[in-house]
Amino acid sequence: MSTIAPGRRTRRDHSEYLTGYLFVLPVVFFILAFIAYPLVQSLLLSFYKWDGIGPWEFVGIDNYVRMFGKDRYFWSALGNSFKYSIGASFGLLTVGFALAAIIDLRVRFWRLYRFVFFLPITVSTAVVALLWLRIVDPYGVLNTLFEIVRLEVLQQDWLADPSLAMSVIVGIVIWQHSGFPMVIFLAAMQAIDEDIYEAAEIDGATVIRRIFSITIPILKNAFSIVALLLLISTFKVFDIIWIMTRGGPAGATEVLGTHLYQTGIWSNRYGYSSVIAIVILVVSLILSVFYTRISGYRDKP
Amino acid sequence: MTKKHLGAFHVVLILWGLFQLSPLVWLFYSSFKPSLEIQTKLFSLPTRWYFENYDFGRFRQQGITLGIYLKNSIVITSSSLILVTVISLLAGYSIAKLRFWGKNLLTIALIGMIGIPIHSFLIPLYFFVIDLGLLAKPLGLILPYVAFRAPFTTLLLQTYFRAFPDEIIEAAKIDGCSHLTTFYRIVMPVSLGGISTVLIFNFLYFWDEFLFALVVMKPNAAKTLPIGLTNFIGRYSTDWGPLLAGLVVATIPTILFYFVFHRNLIRGATIGSIKG
Repeated sequence: MSTIAPGRRTRRDHSEYLTGYLFVLPVVFFILAFIAYPLVQSLLLSFYKWDGIGPWEFVGIDNYVRMFGKDRYFWSALGNSFKYSIGASFGLLTVGFALAAIIDLRVRFWRLYRFVFFLPITVSTAVVALLWLRIVDPYGVLNTLFEIVRLEVLQQDWLADPSLAMSVIVGIVIWQHSGFPMVIFLAAMQAIDEDIYEAAEIDGATVIRRIFSITIPILKNAFSIVALLLLISTFKVFDIIWIMTRGGPAGATEVLGTHLYQTGIWSNRYGYSSVIAIVILVVSLILSVFYTRISGYRDKP
Repeated sequence: MTKKHLGAFHVVLILWGLFQLSPLVWLFYSSFKPSLEIQTKLFSLPTRWYFENYDFGRFRQQGITLGIYLKNSIVITSSSLILVTVISLLAGYSIAKLRFWGKNLLTIALIGMIGIPIHSFLIPLYFFVIDLGLLAKPLGLILPYVAFRAPFTTLLLQTYFRAFPDEIIEAAKIDGCSHLTTFYRIVMPVSLGGISTVLIFNFLYFWDEFLFALVVMKPNAAKTLPIGLTNFIGRYSTDWGPLLAGLVVATIPTILFYFVFHRNLIRGATIGSIKG
C-alpha cells in the first residue's frame, strides 16, 4: 500500500488528491445511497412496528423478543437455512474435491472436463429451477426414466414429500455448482510441487494414498476457504427454493430468505420481518470475518 | 504418474459430465417438440423440428410476454454493466494508483460490503425505490444493481491495476497527460483481461438476479426473464413446449458468453476467492 511520504506536499499532490477523490466519488455515492442508507434503516426498522403505510411505531426490542421467544416459524426457518447451507456446502465440497483430484491426475482432455463441469453454473438459477421442476414432477422426466428401466419402486413425488424436498433441492444445487469448488481446488492442486508426488511414487504410493497423505494435508487452507465461501453463498438462498417449493411442503424447505419475503413483502409486517434481515446479516458477517481472516484479504489492501 | 488406473477415472468423469449435461441437452431438443409429443415421447428426438414454441406472440393472451421479458432483461443487464464498469474502473484505478487520504478505510469498507447480503436491506431499499418514483421502472433495478456489484468490481479491477508499473504512469504525467488521459489511453488498454473478467461475472449476476427483481418488478410489463418465466409455474402444467423454449432463450446468451469467456471466468473464480 503506497502511503504519502511525510513533509512532501507539492501542488501535484493536491491535484492527485482531488483526482483520487473524484474517481472514487461515483462508487461511494452508489454504495451510500443504495446499500448503507437502507442498511441503517433496516437496523432501525427492526425496533419499530410498520405496515408500510402509517408512521413507524417504536416498540423497543419487542420484535426481537417475539421472534426469538415464541415464533416457531422463525426457528424452523433458521434450522432449515443451516440444514440447507451445511448440506449443500458439504456436498459441493466433496464432489468438487473429488472431481478436481481426478482431473489433477492429468487425465487426457482435462480442460474439456473442466469446461463441462463448470458450464451449468452459467445457467440462470431460475432456468435451473424451472427445468428441474419438470424433471422431478410426479409425471416428469425422472419418474418416467424409472418406469422405462423398470425401477418403479424408486418413483417418488419428489417435492411433495416433506422428508425429501430439501434433499432434492440440495441435489440440484450440487448438480449446478460443483464446478466452482472444483476449479478452486484444481488451481490449488496444480500449484503443488510435482517433485513431492514423484517422491511418493518412487516409494510406491497408490493414487488414493497420494490423495489422502499429500494432497489433502497440503490443501487444508483451501478447504477452509472453499467451505466458508460455500456457506456464505448458500446461507442466503432464496430463488431456487422460492421457485420450486415456495418453502413447502408444510414449511419443510422454508429458509430465512423465503421467510423474510413472506413476512415482509407479502404480509406487510415490515418491522417484524426486519429482525429476520438482521439475523441473515449477522450470520453472513460472522462467516465473512472468518473468510477474510483465512483468505488473506486482511493482509492485502 | 502411472496410467493404469486412469481408465476407471475416465468413467467417473464421463458419467458426471453426462449427469450434468443431459438435462440441458434434453431441454434444448425438447423445446422443438409440440407439448403433446414432449409428454408422450419424453426422451425421443423431435419427429420434425417444431418452431412454434418460439413464437412468443402466441402466448400474449395467456399473460406470458416472453418478448417483453427478454427486452427488459437486455436493457437492464446492459445498462447496469456499462454503468458499474465505468464507475468501478475509475474507483479501482484511483485506489490502486493515486494517493489520497482515506484510501485504506475505503478499501476495508468495500471488502466489508461484499459480505453484506442484499436480504439484510431489501425492505428499506424497496421503499427507497418507491420514494424515488422508480418502482417497476428499469432504473429502479439498474441503480441498485450498480451499487450491489460496485464493491466486488472495484476490488477485482484494482488488483489488475496494481500490477501496472508506476514508472510508465509517471512518464505519461511528465509528458503532460492528465490523470484521466493516462488512465484511458495507457492503463485501460492493458487491463482488458481484468475488464472482461468483471464483465462476465457481472453479466451472469444481472441476468440471473431474482430476489430484488421479484420485489421491484411486479407488473407483467416490467418483469425480467427470470421473474417472467416463473409465470409458467402451475398455470400451464401441461404446456411444456413454450416453457422449455423460454428457458432455452434465457440460457443461450449465458452459454455463448461462457464459450467466449470461460477462461476468464474460471481464472476469475480462482483469483476472486483465494487471493481476493
